[in-house]
Amino acid sequence: MKLFDIALKDMLRSFRSLFAVGMMVAAPLLITGLIYLAFGGISGEQRDMSVIQVGLINADAPSPDISFNLGQTLVEMFTDASVVDWLNVRVYPDVAGARAALDRQEIGIAVIIPAGLSAAALSGEPSPDTMVLILHDPTLTLGPQVVGGMVMSLLDGVTGGRIAIEVIQERHAARGLAFAPTQIPALIGQYQTWYTDFQRATFHHPTQAALRLVAPGVDETAAPMSQILGTTMAGQMIFFAFYTAAYSMTSILREQEEGTLARLFTTPTDRTVILGGKFLAVILTVILQGAALMLFAGLTFGIHWGRTDSALLALVAQVVATAGLGVLLIALVKHSRQAGPVLGGGLTVLGMLGGLFTVGIQGMPAFLDVAALFTPHGWVLKGWRLALAGQAPNELLLPFFIAVAIGAAMFALGAILFRRRFA
Amino acid sequence: MMLAIEMQNLHKRFGDLHTVQGVSLTAPVGEILSLLGPNGAGKSTIISMLSGLLAPTEGDALVMGHSINREPEAAKACLGVVPQDIALYPDLSARENLLFWGKMYGLRGTVLQRRVDEVLEIIDLADRQKGCVEKFSGGMKRRVNIGAALLHKPQVIIMDEPTVGIDPQSRRHILDNVKELNCQGMTVLYTTHYMEEAAELSDHIAIMDHGQVIACGTHDELIQLVGEQTRIDLTLNVDAERVLTAWQQVEGVSRASAQDGLVTVLVDDSNRVLPRLFEAATIAGARITGVDIREPNLEAVFLHLTGRALRD
Repeated sequence: MKLFDIALKDMLRSFRSLFAVGMMVAAPLLITGLIYLAFGGISGEQRDMSVIQVGLINADAPSPDISFNLGQTLVEMFTDASVVDWLNVRVYPDVAGARAALDRQEIGIAVIIPAGLSAAALSGEPSPDTMVLILHDPTLTLGPQVVGGMVMSLLDGVTGGRIAIEVIQERHAARGLAFAPTQIPALIGQYQTWYTDFQRATFHHPTQAALRLVAPGVDETAAPMSQILGTTMAGQMIFFAFYTAAYSMTSILREQEEGTLARLFTTPTDRTVILGGKFLAVILTVILQGAALMLFAGLTFGIHWGRTDSALLALVAQVVATAGLGVLLIALVKHSRQAGPVLGGGLTVLGMLGGLFTVGIQGMPAFLDVAALFTPHGWVLKGWRLALAGQAPNELLLPFFIAVAIGAAMFALGAILFRRRFA
Repeated sequence: MMLAIEMQNLHKRFGDLHTVQGVSLTAPVGEILSLLGPNGAGKSTIISMLSGLLAPTEGDALVMGHSINREPEAAKACLGVVPQDIALYPDLSARENLLFWGKMYGLRGTVLQRRVDEVLEIIDLADRQKGCVEKFSGGMKRRVNIGAALLHKPQVIIMDEPTVGIDPQSRRHILDNVKELNCQGMTVLYTTHYMEEAAELSDHIAIMDHGQVIACGTHDELIQLVGEQTRIDLTLNVDAERVLTAWQQVEGVSRASAQDGLVTVLVDDSNRVLPRLFEAATIAGARITGVDIREPNLEAVFLHLTGRALRD
C-alpha cells in the first residue's frame, strides 16, 4: 500500500508542475502540430490544397462512322467517379478560356485535346497539331506530373491497341484469312472498354488491381498525411517518453536534496518499498503519458496507431525501455543540477542516434540505421513503425523483446546502484 | 522505571573521523532529554542512528525496548522524528503533506483524516491547511515539519534543533508545543545549541563535545559543576592578551580566557573581584570598555568543562 502512496505522491507532484506536463504532453503534440500545419493540415484546407484543379478543352471530333473517340475517352477518364475526390475538372469551350482561368489560378492545369486526335491515334501518324498539350501553373510540380501520367497512360493504351490490331491483321494475312477494315472500329471499341476497366482497376481500386504498389512499413489504408504524422508523432512521443521517465526519476534526487528522502527512511517503511514506489511512479507516468499522447494525436491529427494489440505491444516496449534508461541515468547522477545536462544532452544524442528526429526523412546515411540498433530508442521506434503500418503483433516481437530486454537490464542496473547508494 | 531511550556505548566512525565515541545515555518514559553542544559535537549523528538513518559502527540503542540494530522497523514505529532542516514537499499543501506522512506511519482512512485535523489544530495551521508549503513562512514550515512527526502519536519524539533560523514568535510556539507534548506523556529527545532552550525544557541535559558526553544531569546538577561561579565578559581598548595573564593571577578568578577580543572570566563573587580586575587592567595599561555579568548557566558549565564558549 505504501508503495502506491509513494508512487501517487510522486505523480501528483509531477502533474502539478507545468514544466513537467509541458514536456510530457504539450511539447510532442506541439512539434507534431507544427509539422501538421506546415503540411497544410487544417481540416478542410488540407483537402482543398490536395485537389488538383484541371481545365479540359476537347476539340477532338472524330468521324461518327467509327466508334472511337479518344478525346471523349480522356474527358471521361478525368471525370470518372473514382478520381473526383482529388481531381476537379472544368470543361472550357476554347483554349483562350482555359488560359484565362489558368492565369486567374482558378485551375492549375489545362489539358488541351486537339482536333484530329482520334484519327491520328488510329493512323499511327501523329503530328505536332494532333498532340495533347498540357499547360500548368509553373509553381506546381506534383499535379502536372499526375495529370501528365494519366494522359500518357491512356495514350500508351491506345498505341497498344493499334499495335494489337496490326498484329491481328498480320496474323490473318499470314494464315490467308480475310480481315475486313470494317471490323477495326468494333475491335478498337472492345479494346477501349477493356483498357478503361484495366486502368480504373489499376489506379483506383487497389483490391482489384492487376498492379499493386506496396511500400513496406506503410499502412496502405492510411492517408499519406496521416502516415507522415504518425511516424513523426511516434518519434516525438518516444523522445519525450524517455525524457519523462528520466525526469520522473529525478524526484529521488530532489527528495534527497529536500530532506524528505531521509525523512522517509526514518519512517517504518522498508527502503525497498520506497525505491519501488519511485520506480512505480516512473512506470505509471510513462504509461499515462503514452496513452494521453496516443489519444490526443488520434483526435487532433487523425493518427491511426494500427492494430490495438500491436500498439499495446509497442507501448509496453516503450514503457519498459524508457523507465529502464530513466532509472539508470539518474542512478549515475549525484544531484538534480547534474540531471539537467544529462537529460538534455544525453537523451537528445541518443534520440538522434535512434532516428527519432529523422523519421520522415528519406535517404539518411546507412550508418545511422546501424547506430539506431545500439539504442533503445531505435528499437522502440522500429516497434512503432510496424504498429503504425498495421502489422500484426507477431511482426513486432523482435523489436519488442529487444527493447524490453535493454530496458529491463538498465532498470536492474539502476536499481542496484540506487540500493547501494541508499543502503 | 521504564526507559524510552537507552543508548549503549554508541560509536560512529566515518573513515578516520570518530564522530560519536561511546555514548551511553538513558531517557525514562515521559522525560525530556536534551543533547546540548556546539555544531559538530555529534548530536545529529546520534539522532541519525536512533532514527535509522545511520547504522552504529559499534554499540546499540533501544527505543521503547526495541533494538535499532535488530528491530529497526519496530523502533521506528515508536519514534516521531523532526529533522533539523525542513523536510516537506514544498509543492504539496500542509494537509497533503500531513496525509502523506501519516500514511507512511501506517494510518489510513478516517483515522488518518481525524488525526490530521487534530495535528493541524496542535500546530495552529488549521486555517492554512490548503496552502502550499512553499508559500509558508519559515516558522509555519517548522510547525508543519513538527506536525508530520506527531501524526501516529509516537511514544518518543526526536527533535533535532527545531528552532534554528526562525522568528521568536514561532520559536515560542514550538517550545510550548514540546512542553505540551511532554505533558501528554511523550518522551522527547531534543538537540540544541541554545542553552536557554535546554534549560527551559529539559529534565536532563547531556552536554556533548567532540562526539562524547562530557556531562549529564539535571540543570541544577550541571550548574553545580561550576559551583556558584559568575561569568564576567569584558571588552578592552587593547589586545586582550595584555591583561589575560594578570587577570588569571587575580584572587577569586578561577578561569580567564580570551576570544575575538572578548575576555571571559569565571569568578566566585563578582562584587569582590570586579574592582581587582579594573585595577589589574589599569596597571597593564588597558582600559575596560565593556562589562557583562552573567549568573551561572549552562554556557558557563560548557566553558568550565571545555575551555571554549558554547557558541564556538
